[in-house]
Amino acid sequence: MNDRERRDFQAGLEAEVDAFMRGETTRRTFITKFGQMTGMLAASGPILGMMTDWALAQQKLELADPSSPLGQAQAAALKASSEGPAEGSAFRAIEAAKQYSGVTVNMTSEAGLQALDPRNFSGPMLEQLTGIKTNVVELSWPDLYSKAVAEHIAGSGAYDVLDIAPMWTPSLADGGVIQPLDDYIAKYMNADDLNDYHPLYKALPTYKGKVWGLFDDGDIFAVYYRKDIFEDPKLVEAYQAKFNAKLGPPKTWEEYTQVAQFITDQLAPNVYGAGHFRKAGSPGNQFDFLQQFRANGGKLFDDDMKAALASDAGITTLKNMIAANAASIPGNNELDAVSLWAAFLTGKVAMMYSWPPTGRMAANYSQSATAINFIPQSQVAGKIGYAVVPGNPEHATGFSKALAADSANPEAAFLTMQWMTSPPVSLARVMLPYALRDPYRLSHFRSDLYGGLFPSAHEYLVNLNNSANIGLLDPIMPGAQDYFLSLDRMCTAVWAGADPKASLETAAREFDETTERLGVDSQRAFYAEFLKLPGSTADNTVEKLGLAVTL
Amino acid sequence: MNQTAPAMRMSAAGTPPRLSGFANWADRNFKWLLVAPAVLLILALSIYPLVFSLVVSFINYDFQVPGHAFVGLQNFERVVFDPVARWSLLLTAILSGVSVGIEFVLGLAVALAMVKSFPGRGVVMSILIVPLFISPVIVGQAWTLLLQRPFGPTNYILGALLGQDVTIGWLTESPWLYISLIIADVWQWTPFMFVILLAGLTSIPSNLYEAAELDGVGAWQTFWAITVPHLAPMMLLALTFRLLDAIRMFDTIFIMTGGGPGTSTYTASYYLYTVGFTQFHLSQATAGSWLFLIFTALVVTLLVRRLLKVEAS
Repeated sequence: MNDRERRDFQAGLEAEVDAFMRGETTRRTFITKFGQMTGMLAASGPILGMMTDWALAQQKLELADPSSPLGQAQAAALKASSEGPAEGSAFRAIEAAKQYSGVTVNMTSEAGLQALDPRNFSGPMLEQLTGIKTNVVELSWPDLYSKAVAEHIAGSGAYDVLDIAPMWTPSLADGGVIQPLDDYIAKYMNADDLNDYHPLYKALPTYKGKVWGLFDDGDIFAVYYRKDIFEDPKLVEAYQAKFNAKLGPPKTWEEYTQVAQFITDQLAPNVYGAGHFRKAGSPGNQFDFLQQFRANGGKLFDDDMKAALASDAGITTLKNMIAANAASIPGNNELDAVSLWAAFLTGKVAMMYSWPPTGRMAANYSQSATAINFIPQSQVAGKIGYAVVPGNPEHATGFSKALAADSANPEAAFLTMQWMTSPPVSLARVMLPYALRDPYRLSHFRSDLYGGLFPSAHEYLVNLNNSANIGLLDPIMPGAQDYFLSLDRMCTAVWAGADPKASLETAAREFDETTERLGVDSQRAFYAEFLKLPGSTADNTVEKLGLAVTL
Repeated sequence: MNQTAPAMRMSAAGTPPRLSGFANWADRNFKWLLVAPAVLLILALSIYPLVFSLVVSFINYDFQVPGHAFVGLQNFERVVFDPVARWSLLLTAILSGVSVGIEFVLGLAVALAMVKSFPGRGVVMSILIVPLFISPVIVGQAWTLLLQRPFGPTNYILGALLGQDVTIGWLTESPWLYISLIIADVWQWTPFMFVILLAGLTSIPSNLYEAAELDGVGAWQTFWAITVPHLAPMMLLALTFRLLDAIRMFDTIFIMTGGGPGTSTYTASYYLYTVGFTQFHLSQATAGSWLFLIFTALVVTLLVRRLLKVEAS
């Protein structure tokens, strides 16, 4: 140390010591306090974790009035889970799951209404019965896929049970994100309960001969129409005079447009013949196109896996849809699913097709839950009839519960899935007023308790079952969301005036790009697997396979 | 300097504690320890994602295609040769240019009107800047409620005013959907221009205007000869800031048009969102982001250079 360095050191030391003597902050105290603060930050993680656990423990089981149909269904679910029958999937799942008391099952769920069931009903009930805690991770719809994949790549084991759209099954299965359930099913599930699925939904989670999920949401489209309008003697007479036919729910798409236009001509601006969810980016266009296109004999891909959209069936479909738009409520092309419901429930639209919650909302049953009060009260309750969509109705997405491959507690997770989807528990779940889960089991369709939810609930259930008998599945293959996006773009471009043929060709080009990106041969193999499923084409429906269910 | 003084003070305070090895090291490197948390934070939150995104743009990182193979420039090619990407870039330039242009003119007009004091000026100014504090998502939803048929009142009001049925598809028909998007943007961001330009106007020395008035210079000439030159740096600053924000236009489009009909309202941000988070082609979206960043950087460089030149002059 030279003189200058020594002087500097001593000057610094002097200032340091003076500050120390005065009790001021020195570098040493700074370092000490910084260390303490860092330590506190490190300790805050576990403390926050404990607080989260405490908060989760505050979740309360919400039960309906025991005298109501929902209350009775909930009591029946509790009884079947705790008392049996002993061979029932619910009872067996609970008995086996008790060994996992204290374990937390992390499950993904679409954010919002979908998450209310595991938060308020099935999750707390499972904990009450087994001690298994459920942690519901709410995600947006696309994130149900992307987060599952991302967490798998990271190997985090963040999720145990995944809510997935069936179309993602092949990607997630081949990607190792989910695991097959066959062994667990053989070990724990009652075979009769597996056979309780409607045939359209039973095989849906099957891929390459293995079961990759437990189906959990029957999202079949159906027609909902105003009986008071369709049975109005003056309108019936006028329709007969004009078309020499009886006014009623349409059987073909041409008739659909004809009926819609007739009602619009007769009753607008008070009531319009039809309404559709046509807004870009709002799921609707792709499903509507797919159901009409396939009912018109269209095929998505030819033998070389080239898109076959730009065909006569494609042109016919788009022309029918354009005509239906013209016969509909003004602003039809700007409606999404919720605004269409609003138009229908307020009596502005005489006929629509959509997902099953429409029937529950139209009967004012859903609106009994405050969580769903953004939907207007139904002004058409008691006036609604149900019919099968002309041609073949689309089963638009739906949900399966899948077992994450990285789950730290796969058996506990599977037992949770089995219990939630078992006949008595799933019945209580699909009956929740805020539920967006729709009936999918034969025991749901046949349930007297569900049939007692609102005056026409039995007819509603029969129509859902009949729709599933001839229903068509969305393509279950990788790239499905790309194909869907292309269809949505195509449709909305056509609604805005683009040439249908040119738009079909653009969509076909985008289809081909997607197929090439994912590999033509592998996509061909995926498509071949899909075509094995009942409901994959109009020639392969449950009914045409001789599996139709009559209630 | 009296070298005995510190020693005396030290002796009065007792022998200072002997520093451990770590304390010695910490003492020597104290300056680095102080900046280390900030540097680590920047590295973790900014540099690492940036480097990672660059890596991702050269590999397959697609939630539908397993594996992370090196693919060279393929992701960039996909963006460059995608007609939707090219359209979205063009639309971004058009929408942001037109919106910012209108906002600038309106903002300047309002600022000129508000520069002189008048009764109620404070209240009017408060009301004028309210849109700035509203989330763009809410702005999009509000305008959707106003414009969407059949529930929105806009066509009804226009019909009442014009005395005939108005059936404009504000969110689905061209050119109305572009006009709707511009209206929503202008409504929200004109106050931004107004606030910055007003600040600039109030900083112009009043004696210049007094001198001009004494010389009998007209209002129009005063505006061009005094206001514009003195306000130019602020004008450029406001335009730069606003343009940088406008080219990222996403929220209102997501809510109001969903990118449709077709791909007619895809901006660059909306395109990248769709590729990355609807189609899960993350590496393509990342490559697109880098290309978009390059375009943005070019614009920024031009504007900043111009800004510096104006300030220097």
